[in-house]
Amino acid sequence: MSTFTRYIIRRLISAGVMIYIVMTVNFFIIHAAPGDPVTIMAGIEQPSKEIIEALKKKYGLDKPLIYQYLKYMSNIIRGDLGYSYVYDQPSWTLISERVLPTLVLTLSGSILAFVIGVYLAIFVSHLKLKFGETIASVISYILYATPSFWLALIMILVFSSKLKWFPTSGMFDLRHTYEGFRKLLDFMHHMVLPITTLMLIQMPVFYRVTRASIVQNQNEEYVVTLTAIGVPKEKLFKKYIVKNAILPSITIFGIILGFSITGAALIEIVFAWPGMGRLMLDAIFRRDYQLLLGIYFLMALFISIAMIITDIVIALLDPRIRLT
Amino acid sequence: MKKLLVFILLLVFAFAFAGEPKKGGTLVIAHWGDPISFNPDAKIDDAGNGIYGCIFSKLVALDTDYNVIPDLAESWEVSEDGLTYTFHLRKGVKWHDGHPFTSADVVWTFKQIMSHKEAPANRHFRDVASIEAPDDYTVVIKMKKPYAPFLGFLAWYGTYIMPKHLYDITENGSPVDWFNNPHNQNPVGTGPFKFVEWVKGDHVTLEKNPDYFLGEPYLDRIVFKIIPDENTALQAFLNGEVDYDNNVSRAQIDTLKRVPGVVAYLKPGPSRYYMGFNVNRRESPFHNKKVRFAVAHALNKEEIFKKAIKYGQVAEGFYTPAIPWAYNPNAKIPEYNPELAEKLLDEAGYPRKEDGYRFEVTLVYFQGQEWRDMSTIIKEQLDKVGIKVKLEEYEIAAYIEKVLKAGDFDLTVLDGFQGPDPDNLKLRVGTGGDINVMGYSSKEVDDLLEKAGSISDKEKRRELYFKIQEILAEDLPIYPIAEVMYTYVHRDYVKGLPYQMAGVVAYNNYAKTWLDK
Repeated sequence: MSTFTRYIIRRLISAGVMIYIVMTVNFFIIHAAPGDPVTIMAGIEQPSKEIIEALKKKYGLDKPLIYQYLKYMSNIIRGDLGYSYVYDQPSWTLISERVLPTLVLTLSGSILAFVIGVYLAIFVSHLKLKFGETIASVISYILYATPSFWLALIMILVFSSKLKWFPTSGMFDLRHTYEGFRKLLDFMHHMVLPITTLMLIQMPVFYRVTRASIVQNQNEEYVVTLTAIGVPKEKLFKKYIVKNAILPSITIFGIILGFSITGAALIEIVFAWPGMGRLMLDAIFRRDYQLLLGIYFLMALFISIAMIITDIVIALLDPRIRLT
Repeated sequence: MKKLLVFILLLVFAFAFAGEPKKGGTLVIAHWGDPISFNPDAKIDDAGNGIYGCIFSKLVALDTDYNVIPDLAESWEVSEDGLTYTFHLRKGVKWHDGHPFTSADVVWTFKQIMSHKEAPANRHFRDVASIEAPDDYTVVIKMKKPYAPFLGFLAWYGTYIMPKHLYDITENGSPVDWFNNPHNQNPVGTGPFKFVEWVKGDHVTLEKNPDYFLGEPYLDRIVFKIIPDENTALQAFLNGEVDYDNNVSRAQIDTLKRVPGVVAYLKPGPSRYYMGFNVNRRESPFHNKKVRFAVAHALNKEEIFKKAIKYGQVAEGFYTPAIPWAYNPNAKIPEYNPELAEKLLDEAGYPRKEDGYRFEVTLVYFQGQEWRDMSTIIKEQLDKVGIKVKLEEYEIAAYIEKVLKAGDFDLTVLDGFQGPDPDNLKLRVGTGGDINVMGYSSKEVDDLLEKAGSISDKEKRRELYFKIQEILAEDLPIYPIAEVMYTYVHRDYVKGLPYQMAGVVAYNNYAKTWLDK
């Protein structure tokens, strides 16, 4: 068995253990929160005791917690993510409907944020213009501190209400029933604002990290050495400094990718985007235990996989790191 | 017959004043949330209920003024003793898939409701002895004992008639429960619009049912666009992406009223804000009636209304004036009189201590700006008479645990739907009632409620409910603050919306809605 295979197997096992612990902790934390799905469903307008009792019985919520836990975990092992008490459907059915809109939003947003953030940092460092750097830094600080739901609303006010360039919300123009290519165009038209908002929110992290890393690298001894032996500045920057400096950003990108499956709840709410974030937030408010656990399971799984892939990618880029 | 005549007359008037309706077009409605499913009777589902009325019909329906109007039942009779209800169904009604609608569907639906304890309408069928269909177009419901509000509840919530031929099915020999029926995602009804698609979290599209029994709907399509955020809904509305904004916050009304081409209509609804005293849940100074009266005299509900609620009207009595026949204008809330409040508190044995306070209590409320504002003002007003109030804010789930279940509070503010029949007062002030957070218990009120629920003479019922409100004014388990206004915001070219069609269609039925453009 090669070192690489052994490495992967070890990582997979530890990921499995990790997911198991995450699920167990989450299960008990969720159940410790005040309220339960059935009582919330009954609401405060007409909360009949009979309704609450009958629903508890129907969903097995009257059984001891440890019994519910063992049952849920055994279901997970068999690939069953559970059953939503609110929607009366398998968790997976509800989640699968949201996967595509979620990933379209988060993946495009994150990739753009990564590319733009990193490039901006490289560009600014390369230019060595004090002025340009200040501007970029100020903008990135401002964006970094901006709440996403607020920025989302501002985007709507400016680009939808004022300039009328883009629709406010949703995925499709509901007054028309487009088909084929026209439908795709309509979808992309609706996508612009949410993706741009997400990109603007995530971009500063990549910019800051890359920029800091470049500055740090420029003071490293290998730069001094290479300069001393006469490597041209241009080559030194592009080939050595940049390559080293984007490693931390790749790690962050990996983590963000892992989270991408859970969407961007606040942005989704403002843009009425039917993504996983809204589903998750709703499940939290309604204490829809098994739907929430299903989402957490996917999140844990995605993050584990993303971390393994990130480590491999970094090992490929950085020969100093060996996978053992 | 008389009902039918009134109905026709109203229809004629409605058309006379609205002008000739135009056909065609798509109405886009900003809707605040996704339905849970399209099984309209299985669960409490307020988001779904706003859409169900387009797809499904009931035996009898509620219009926007909370009158019971004919729906699938053309007419009905109630026997002298109040024990037998006979419904005469419309003939020639078809389900959206072409299958004929008959009394068998009604009987099946009601039996399902009775066998599902968790169905929201289940409790209203508690006194039903039998449901029978002597022929295809007659349904006879027999009661064990008279239950006057039955018709109102039949018209209200979770009583849509469902298609027996699609739901009464078996899989591997055993019947399929209605929770698991595939048509919950793809509903078939008898209503004015047919289901087209539901993209979860994004929209629900319906198209007109040309065979609808109240006449072909004017609109070609209705789209419920799901926009959870009120600000986004407002922008989508102002930008013309939606025609009817069903997710308006009260804070936006002032702005909207100034926009040309926009109708922002306010209408009193049978829901009200009130404060509940902990009368008998755990130790609290408010077990003492004198202290409750002191608080009532210390509070200035005009100020609470003006600063926190803004729209609607200040409460005067102990029931909603939006259901006028049962509202007693003579049972009054104690007036603002801080001196009297101080005097009562002294008498009750709560003199001011060295720090100026008499005692400290908690005011528990749930998240939301209006609740926070209301509670803050109450705190300030009570502070002036020496009652120290500690505010506690919870999200709704925690609130239910703390207030509803545990009774761990001194004061709480809440609102609530008081209709469709005053019989629902049992829930709020009856002993052990489901929303009786106060722990209020009065033998006299219980007896009166029981009696008022079991007779069918409306005049006599009114007297009993009047008496109940007088007792509430004497016992003061609650302090009513304000009546809720329902808001309707739409473009002026949208005509014949359900709220404008009282007496013609149900409050959530868009069969008579049309676009004047």
